[in-house]
Amino acid sequence: MLNGELNRRELLRGGAGLAVGVGLAGCGVGDTGGGSKAAVEKPIKKKVDGDLVYFNWAEYIDPDLIKGFEKLHGVKVRESNFDSMPAMMSKLRAGIAYDVIFPSAEFAQRLISGNKLRKIDRSKLDNTDLVYSQFQEPWYDKGSEHTTPYTMYATGLGYRDDKVSGLTGSWTDLQNADSGGRNFMLDDFQEGIGMANLVKGYELNTTDSDELEKSLGYLKGVKPKLRGISSDPITNMTSGSAWLHHLWNGDVVNIRNQVDNPEDFKFQKNEEGIPVGSDTFAIPTNAKHPGTALLFIEYMLQPEIAARNVEWIGYPMPYEGGATEAFAGLVKDDPEIEVTVDDLANGQQFENLKGDGRVAWDETWTEFKAS
Amino acid sequence: MTEQRFAAGFLFPGGLWLLAFFLVPLGILLAISFGYTDDLGNALYGWHPENYERVFDPVFVPVLLRSIGFALATVALCVLIGYPVAYYIAVFGGRRKSALIALVVLPFFVNYLVRTYAWIAILGDDGLVNGTFDTQIRFLNTPWAVIGGLTYGYLAFMILPIYAALDRMDPALIEAGKDLYGRPWLTFRHVTFPHTFQGVLAGAVLVFLPAVGDFVSAQLLGGPDEYMVGNLIQQQFFAAENWPFGAALTTIMMLFLLVWMVLYLRSAAREAQEVTA
Repeated sequence: MLNGELNRRELLRGGAGLAVGVGLAGCGVGDTGGGSKAAVEKPIKKKVDGDLVYFNWAEYIDPDLIKGFEKLHGVKVRESNFDSMPAMMSKLRAGIAYDVIFPSAEFAQRLISGNKLRKIDRSKLDNTDLVYSQFQEPWYDKGSEHTTPYTMYATGLGYRDDKVSGLTGSWTDLQNADSGGRNFMLDDFQEGIGMANLVKGYELNTTDSDELEKSLGYLKGVKPKLRGISSDPITNMTSGSAWLHHLWNGDVVNIRNQVDNPEDFKFQKNEEGIPVGSDTFAIPTNAKHPGTALLFIEYMLQPEIAARNVEWIGYPMPYEGGATEAFAGLVKDDPEIEVTVDDLANGQQFENLKGDGRVAWDETWTEFKAS
Repeated sequence: MTEQRFAAGFLFPGGLWLLAFFLVPLGILLAISFGYTDDLGNALYGWHPENYERVFDPVFVPVLLRSIGFALATVALCVLIGYPVAYYIAVFGGRRKSALIALVVLPFFVNYLVRTYAWIAILGDDGLVNGTFDTQIRFLNTPWAVIGGLTYGYLAFMILPIYAALDRMDPALIEAGKDLYGRPWLTFRHVTFPHTFQGVLAGAVLVFLPAVGDFVSAQLLGGPDEYMVGNLIQQQFFAAENWPFGAALTTIMMLFLLVWMVLYLRSAAREAQEVTA
């Protein structure tokens, strides 16, 4: 191989090489870092094979359920957290072994194509038949061989019903509705560019350079009318800094749980399109205790456990039964927050961009932020 | 000879530390800055000098100028706030000097990120200040909030070197100044300030360097138009997954800061020579 992935060993070699004055540019630096097909295929025996090394976003699971799992199987759950998908990837690249991880759809696809995820035999996993039909054959995991869904989320606009007027059901409300100058865009390159693409009537994942140029023009027009670009809608909405926020539907549930006037916080799905995203359960190929991980996933999928988890995290899980009922209960005051089967059918999902397309999105967003 | 060997032995742990945790990472950074990213988001080594060409894209010029402007404003505010504090502690602190210095350092026991979040709660539209005074002032998402956050974050780096310079100064010099001129302001201008100028300069460098590369203050307290170089670099690593471009930006930024650092060190060396001469 001419070029290799920067795993930790290669990084050290590369750095040390340069430090003594040997340029590395263009040199071979080892293997590509992809896992082996055999490691992916190896069947997992569903039994306790050690403590569970758990790697997830912070506060993205009901901690009581983790305690319940520890008690049930007499194991410890060793929790660590990431604060972004790229941060999760860099830990995995460094070779750290986790038993269960929660990649988003795009990252699950990347990990699968890099042979980094063990196969999960669904026939041996109870309750996977409850997965919504739209997630039975997801784009990111053909055949559903390596993952099972964890949560899903729709992107829209969260707003203060008691403060904001002039909403029309369009994404352009973000800059046009009367929000007292308290409007925020999500600091997320996919959501930002995706919103612009939908408004312009393009495919959500377009990489056409003319279209991206026009979407960039749209975003630059929105920018002067924004108060902020932030990835923390919960803080912005609960502190009163934001009355109108580009956000995920689950965040509206969390905001409503934290304020004294939950009925004033609403969610709007927009007519130009609803980006739908999802997170997954997965077991990395270098997991030391895949059996415990499989037991953990199965434990989380029991309808009554899933229902408790949905109530705690505020995000829907795409499973029939308890999970669906629990979320419907959470949003009964504002059914708009729900992701319906129709939304899933009409919604568009972000896909992985490749090569020049990826570079184009990155440059578009960087220019938007810097301009 | 043995003395020299002894001295070299003393340098060894520090040298090893620098090699392992400064030079080697610096080498990795340089190597990555010429690399590229594959479809899986992995940073790969390669020869792509165009990463550096992109650094000089005119779209980044306002970001760089803004960062320098915010950092200079932060330095100025830190001098205005920090000098009187340091002066009070050094001249009037008496037996409580150490306790007062400890108070200056105390906030550093709490993470900078957490302290910045506290400012959101204090300065928010429905925050502590607006609630207490029943006002509707919009503090957050403004350049002032970002500069305020930076000043708050790095003030101690200004107070400590100025305090050290004032503490070292012979009080007899002030007495002599008063004997000759009499008025306090002239004594301060012609005696105290020049004698502690190196402390101010050291503080200015210690505040400027982290402030110009900071991303927390702009991210949490700023609006769409407060985007700084630190945010740009952070975005390449944690959002765009473009480590090579992030590394190229970092390298150029370090070279730029190095120029300031060398200027400061030369000035400090000249001062030291003048003192000993």
